[in-house]
Amino acid sequence: MAKGDRGAPARGKEVAGEPAPDFVQLLTPDGERIEKSVGADGVEYTVDFTDEEYRGLYRDLVVIRRLDAEATALQRQGELGIWASLLGQEAAQVGSGRALRPQDMAFPTYREHGVLYCRGIDPIMPLSLFRGVDQGAWDPVEFKVNMYTIVIGAQTLHATGYAMGITKDGKVGGDDGEAVICYFGDGAASQGDVNEAFIWASVFHSPIVFFCQNNQYAISEPIEKQTRIPLYRRADGFGFPGLRVDGNDVLATYAVTRAALDNARHGQGPTLIEAYTYRMGAHTTTDDPTRYRVASEVEEWAAKDPIARVRAFVEKQQIADASFIAEVDEQAKQEALHLRERVLAMPDPHPLTLFDHAYPNGSPVVDAQRERFAEYLDSFEGSAH
Amino acid sequence: MSRIKEFPLPDLGEGLVEGEILKWLVAVGDTIELNQPIVEVETAKAAVEIPAKWAGKVHAIHQQEGATVEVGTPIISIDTDPGAGEPPAEAARTPVLVGYGPRTAAASRRPRKANGSTAVVSPPPAEVAPAAPPPPPVEEAPAPPARALAKPPVRKLARDLGVDLAGLTGSGPQGSITRDDVQAAVSAPAAAPAFSAEREQRIPVKGVRKLTAENMVSSAFSAPHVTEFLTIDMTRSIKALDRLRALPEWRDVRISPLLVVAKAVLMAIGRHPIVNSTWAGDEIVVKQYVNLGIAAATDRGLIVPNIKDAGRLSLRELADAMTELVQTAKSGRTSPADMSGGTFTITNVGIFGVDTGTPILPPGESAILALGMVKEAPWVHKGKIRVRQVTTLGLSFDHRVIDGEQGSKFLRDVGAFLTDPEAALLAWT
Amino acid sequence: MAEKLTIGKALNAGLRRALELDPKVLIMGEDVGKLGGVFRITDGLQKDFGDDRVIDTPLAESGIIGTAIGLAIRGYRPVCEIQFDGFVYPAYDQIVSQVAKMHYRSQGKVKVPMVIRIPFGGGIGAVEHHSESPEAYFSHTAGLKVVACSSPQDAYTMIQQAIASDDPIVFLEPKRRYHEKGEVDTEATFPLHASRRLRPGTDATVLAYGPMVRVALDAATAAEEDGRDLEVFDLRTLSPLDLEPVYESVRRTGRCVVVHEAPSNVGLGAEVAARITEECFYSLEAPVLRVTGYDTPYPAARLEEEFLPDLDRVLDAVDRTFGW
Repeated sequence: MAKGDRGAPARGKEVAGEPAPDFVQLLTPDGERIEKSVGADGVEYTVDFTDEEYRGLYRDLVVIRRLDAEATALQRQGELGIWASLLGQEAAQVGSGRALRPQDMAFPTYREHGVLYCRGIDPIMPLSLFRGVDQGAWDPVEFKVNMYTIVIGAQTLHATGYAMGITKDGKVGGDDGEAVICYFGDGAASQGDVNEAFIWASVFHSPIVFFCQNNQYAISEPIEKQTRIPLYRRADGFGFPGLRVDGNDVLATYAVTRAALDNARHGQGPTLIEAYTYRMGAHTTTDDPTRYRVASEVEEWAAKDPIARVRAFVEKQQIADASFIAEVDEQAKQEALHLRERVLAMPDPHPLTLFDHAYPNGSPVVDAQRERFAEYLDSFEGSAH
Repeated sequence: MSRIKEFPLPDLGEGLVEGEILKWLVAVGDTIELNQPIVEVETAKAAVEIPAKWAGKVHAIHQQEGATVEVGTPIISIDTDPGAGEPPAEAARTPVLVGYGPRTAAASRRPRKANGSTAVVSPPPAEVAPAAPPPPPVEEAPAPPARALAKPPVRKLARDLGVDLAGLTGSGPQGSITRDDVQAAVSAPAAAPAFSAEREQRIPVKGVRKLTAENMVSSAFSAPHVTEFLTIDMTRSIKALDRLRALPEWRDVRISPLLVVAKAVLMAIGRHPIVNSTWAGDEIVVKQYVNLGIAAATDRGLIVPNIKDAGRLSLRELADAMTELVQTAKSGRTSPADMSGGTFTITNVGIFGVDTGTPILPPGESAILALGMVKEAPWVHKGKIRVRQVTTLGLSFDHRVIDGEQGSKFLRDVGAFLTDPEAALLAWT
Repeated sequence: MAEKLTIGKALNAGLRRALELDPKVLIMGEDVGKLGGVFRITDGLQKDFGDDRVIDTPLAESGIIGTAIGLAIRGYRPVCEIQFDGFVYPAYDQIVSQVAKMHYRSQGKVKVPMVIRIPFGGGIGAVEHHSESPEAYFSHTAGLKVVACSSPQDAYTMIQQAIASDDPIVFLEPKRRYHEKGEVDTEATFPLHASRRLRPGTDATVLAYGPMVRVALDAATAAEEDGRDLEVFDLRTLSPLDLEPVYESVRRTGRCVVVHEAPSNVGLGAEVAARITEECFYSLEAPVLRVTGYDTPYPAARLEEEFLPDLDRVLDAVDRTFGW
């Protein structure tokens, strides 16, 4: 006798099309406020921002988008080797980025330029990575943001280990407790490392928020290729809460992330947040999305733009006027131009620096190679050194 | 930076080398803003819009729609300061492309400094011996290797000692050359040659060469040699020889200047017998017979066969004897007896085209005459400059035996005979 | 039949032919189906052969290789694509612990006729993990075979031969050369596990594979100006190495330089140098020299031209072999 015919697994709609009913949203695409929204974890979420704070969020969103567009243009002009655009994902990054407390630590992938901005990292720093001048070496300790990780999913284990360290140091269990936020994408959720991180985090009850930006695509592969069920429901299998939020809603993203981080710092363990959003641009500047997705889908998501809804809201609520909007645009333009100038002025690294820092205590092998290379360089006509 | 900026096609991602211009979004003369999309380009991976790198006016478009353009090729020039009047005629070049992707590889070497620290002035590939070494006189004979085999330390030893591996037989495994082989090859205390062994031919010293060398050494370093020269006009002798040739009974006889010189020498010896003698240490032995040696160059080397008792031969007999001597020598049949007992030697260097020389005495002889080339030369003849048949005689003699006066007089007589044989014959006989 | 193709198009044509000839051949990897691969190597194949045979997989390299093992046990011939060299490491355990040992531990009962395609090497100005040369890790593992193509002709023929082979083969593709064109004769054959002399010469033997073959040939051309005549080999097969023709060459020239992008320490060059020294000891005028990447992690894009061997460094090494 058959144990129970489960039938064919639910496909399509529930996963990639309409969002599931339990989807936290506090600001509709048209800019209407929703007072409270209940998540899949059964918790009711709200925000209470001042006008100043709303304006601040709008400003962040606009500036980040503008800087991102400038970086894309710089790549098209041959000034950057490659660029991974965050277009469409501004709200997910600003919402979660602004939810972090100073003592919290963030582990990004390679697209979280908005999070870096919120943490006060000069935009020139990720650009030096994509320009190929260095490997993106801001100081993780100083900025409380780990370096970008290009290997998919690897940082989730690092983040979990760091969170384990917080526990060991007794920094969990109060408002001043420390929490970790770890960013990864929908594709990354298939990697072994990510699933191992979930296991460790749950078993060790670590103070970590797993923040998945589900932008619907891993290069060309749509979300159905990675999962049969909504990603947030994976957490259940690993033993900690998961919930989905409208990733294009900066207010809701802020709310759920803030709560999850506070839970973590108070010793409640990990949470999985699935920020449901869309990668409006290409995977990177070497990708051509017209080869695998249809224009109508992109248009659908354009109607849910994260910035348009905030603008509609602040204008409707008269929290911001036309001159503010214009001033923000101007600020964004200036920051972008300033960034452009600095990128163009970035000096190339000196050839001998390629031998630096392979080992903390140096290496005779590398030293010998550096010396030979220096002599070799010197042997050419026109060598400056 | 200059005003007109050229924009090359950048690498649009991960190693693309070219792109096709799909559509220009601006035209020459358009005013454009920074980042304004100016062109659509299709690559192997994607169709992309390229934003303007500078604001200004479109100065020139370099590639047409539909053109496939390599990364790095200028596609558009932008006048970044259009308000400043007419742009200069010459469009300036922008600095090198900052695109990424596979670069065009350098086709030739970057020039090195003259005394680069690591540059090695490499010697010409000298160690490789083109010829195979002689087959080893061994039991098994593997095919001789194209290059000498030797392990690296042995090669270094050979190089340090100036030994050419190519000439050696290896006694090591696989026919390789060992240390001992190299050491054994180092015999003469000669300094390592400055040039490679490739440019030296080694001729074993043996046979005629060996004997000649020994004779030369013993003669040159025992007898004090003096050489005197006399240049003469032997036209009359040459004409005499011509008249001889015309005679029927001389028709088949080889006649050359050497014949008349031999006759002159024999006649002159008659007047100065001291030149036909031998230093014997405590006495000088004056021979009363002339075994006239004629130096001959053969395949085996220089030999000096002599015509026995040449003084008693008629001219005809002398001519025949000389012909036979030369033929015998050329065919290598000259016997040791032919070559011993010589008392006076003539060496004809003239047949090699030289004027004269300082011959070395064959051991046991006291004088030797070198006959040079007989050639036409201006000469004072009967008070006028005429073209005459001129030659130089070089007489070397052993100063222990012959004084300058004697040698000179002998030479003078030889010259006198050759200058006017009729007169000499009439006067001396 | 001959035509001019890029390496990328030649691989595409070879894969197409393999799919046509054997219904058990599968292609699997990230973005290989609908997109046709990030380098378009599998372009058009899913459209023509279906998503049953050209499969877009979830994003997990160990998953790709591990499930491919199972498919191979089942009788399929999987051709797995690892998107970039730096991303093969999550699959490393499946490759060395499982793929490599399967035939040995099953005493020949279980074959794993798998091809693992990896675009490798630098020189494209990329960010981290996109420019690695991991060939030594796999060559060092018994049970695997490792080959590297360097030209469109070799790409076309070797990919088909690798797929037809019962061995598990790591198939390295020189990504910086993907767009370079060359003649392809579709009827030509040349053994898969054979090295090939590309240029005869008399003064020194230069060995290279993958992306460095072009560098070696350019160096030989430039060396003519120095009056040097270099003999150049494409090793083609890294495990097993085919060095007999190389030994014959070194016995003639007496000098050898090996070139690879991978760092020097314990690289392929070390293995080649040890073997040549053993087989050609009496013929060597100088030690076998290696021109390699340095023993540091692969540097940022703006430094990679200093890191990678180029024409000048190869000829500098050739000069040095004349200094002993």
